[in-house]
Amino acid sequence: MKPDAPRRRRHRSRQGHRWIGLAAAFPLLWLALSGILLNHAATFGLNDRMVTSAWILRHYNQIPEGDPVGVLVGDRVVAGWNGLLFLDSKQIPLQGELQGAAALKGQLVVATDEEIGIFNGSDELVLELDELSLPGVPVEGISVQEGRLLVYSKAQWYRLSEDFFTSEEVPEIVSSLPPDLLAADHRKELSEAMQTRRAMPLSRVILDAHSGSLFGWPGWVITDLSALSLLVLTVLGLRLFPRPRS
Amino acid sequence: MTVFLLCGGGVFAAPGVYQKPSDFVKSSLGQIPATQAIKLTGAQQARVRAMLGKNYKSKSIRYWSAKGKTAYILEEIGKTEDITTGIVVKGGRIDAVKVLIYRETHGGEVARHSFTRQLRGVSLKSDLQLSKNPKNIAGATLSVRALTKLARLALYLETLK
Repeated sequence: MKPDAPRRRRHRSRQGHRWIGLAAAFPLLWLALSGILLNHAATFGLNDRMVTSAWILRHYNQIPEGDPVGVLVGDRVVAGWNGLLFLDSKQIPLQGELQGAAALKGQLVVATDEEIGIFNGSDELVLELDELSLPGVPVEGISVQEGRLLVYSKAQWYRLSEDFFTSEEVPEIVSSLPPDLLAADHRKELSEAMQTRRAMPLSRVILDAHSGSLFGWPGWVITDLSALSLLVLTVLGLRLFPRPRS
Repeated sequence: MTVFLLCGGGVFAAPGVYQKPSDFVKSSLGQIPATQAIKLTGAQQARVRAMLGKNYKSKSIRYWSAKGKTAYILEEIGKTEDITTGIVVKGGRIDAVKVLIYRETHGGEVARHSFTRQLRGVSLKSDLQLSKNPKNIAGATLSVRALTKLARLALYLETLK
């Protein structure tokens, strides 16, 4: 080996360290900053802060499969789409597939195969009824007769009490309005609302940005290269560490 | 996994059903008693909001009572999905906690008996905090927090009956 070889090697290491460090500086800063934020997400309230930016939410592709179905109750549209329920394009906290909806004494009743929700005039969920309080599940339809809610389940109609907690069989056949495919304009409105209103917790968005997945394959490549550059910087830094003899 | 997350897999993931709510009530109380409900007043809702950080999903909360025990089926969001939990209260203390339906993709460790048994015997202090908080589970922090909130809520509801 020539006597100036260590010096040349040191020079190459320094140059490599400098330029790789410059190229990776921003991604590494982001990884460090987002890592700290994620470690203290609860302290900073990042789990409670919601991201509503449409361009970010579109990345999450939150449109369910299949066709939405709906029921018109006066001027209200109750829609169900692959297990998600909506009232005028705003998601409501019920589970199951939509089976029907009806107005009852100033309230709105929404039925899925798993449960029934009673909403007040302000669209607040007043009461949720499931298998524990219903005469039977799956619910297959609902109707309103003489100010009382009727539920169809297991080939039988039941009339619920005023407080909804007890029921009696109804011998006669009752007509009900099943959900139908949503009209094109309502479907478009629902799709747009889902893309723009399904807010995500800020911590989730930061996590995906930290891993690079939020930005698709370019994000993964940048994150991987940043991680690799950190390894290279460490090796180059170690090579620079021994001081040359003067 | 990343593709799954990008496609909103958590939102449409199949839920893990550990026990049907009706089976939980029946096994806890020996029967399924008549449904009763607590209709929260404005002041009570404010206290619930202080505990949960938001209003509970419904204004009336159902419960089932028998043999000196009361069973509540409560739901709280872990990260993005509801965790359906059955809680039995007896004499102002938690008698049993069971995760019934877990819909999140991560944090299902809270459904383990080793975690839920920590809440047994816990009561509510005057500041609406639990007499003893459960230990956190790394990677399931939000689910742990959700179950802790539900335990506080069930104990608070017990004082309203």
